[in-house]
Amino acid sequence: MSAEPVRFTREGVWRGFVLAQPLAPGVAVYGLVFGALAGERGLSWLQSLLMSVFVYSGSAQLAALQVWSAQSSAVLALVLTVVAINARYVLYSAAIQPWLSQVSRPQALGTLFLLGDGSWALAMREYAAGYRDAGFILGSGLAGFIPWIGGTLVGYLLASEMPDPRAWGLDFMLPAFAAAIGISLWRGRADLAPLACAVAVALPLALWSPSGWTVVLAGLAAGLAGALRHGR
Amino acid sequence: MDADHSFYLALLGMAVASYACRVGGFLLMGWVTITPRLEAALRAMPIGVMVGIVAPYVAAGRPPEIAGLMTVAVVMKLTRSDIVAAVAGAAVVAIGRRLLAAG
Repeated sequence: MSAEPVRFTREGVWRGFVLAQPLAPGVAVYGLVFGALAGERGLSWLQSLLMSVFVYSGSAQLAALQVWSAQSSAVLALVLTVVAINARYVLYSAAIQPWLSQVSRPQALGTLFLLGDGSWALAMREYAAGYRDAGFILGSGLAGFIPWIGGTLVGYLLASEMPDPRAWGLDFMLPAFAAAIGISLWRGRADLAPLACAVAVALPLALWSPSGWTVVLAGLAAGLAGALRHGR
Repeated sequence: MDADHSFYLALLGMAVASYACRVGGFLLMGWVTITPRLEAALRAMPIGVMVGIVAPYVAAGRPPEIAGLMTVAVVMKLTRSDIVAAVAGAAVVAIGRRLLAAG
């Protein structure tokens, strides 16, 4: 079986955009939550919007909000938090490289700007099935990006109308979301050591030296544990 | 003004970091091999970050927040939906705070 030659066409973009629509409602709701929390933590609408456009990662943006509200001067801590959360994209873009390396550089680098979890998974499935139009990756990325931006703005506006966010537990949505994402990331016993190491680092820090660095150091502790545990 | 200034500096840093992760694997293929050990480390990090976000609320030890986190865990197990679990957790916190304020 020989696969089709790799192309990058408008039809491919459209096909990716249409097939990724099932992802859009979830992304929009997630965007709503981020927009609302960003407002609650004191960001302006423009700052929230720019963050959604240029960071474009729900979990990384939520983590950054926590770091920012703990310690607003910790630029390095914010950057490292984003790296720790988005490190998985290094794996995604490495996996998709054989496909994207056959289109032009600007097309490939532009497409990767919009790479998301759902769109990547969808694109890899299409590639495995023999589909070769790399426009698909851009289209499925756009299908996530547009509701993400829209959700952010609407969420920000809704939250700014709310009279007393604390009374409704809105400030707690951030750790609540983080806990829920953490549980959904759980893949079994392989994650026990990373989890235990992160707790061992984060709890003492949170008790005795609270700062934005708690998030970074907990992430690094988990990564180190994951590497050490590998192959045992 | 100062906080604003450092926000935009941080935003620039975060944008570069995020994009670097997105293109990193693509550009590095052929130069660096992503070993299974490195992959295990990259995959383990997000769970640690989430622990780092939740830790201050556990350390503070206030009953509404602790009950809220337990609610998140239970609802997550039952529904597998992070949105539903987070909303349920926030609702429990809101109710808990009202009870504490009333009591």
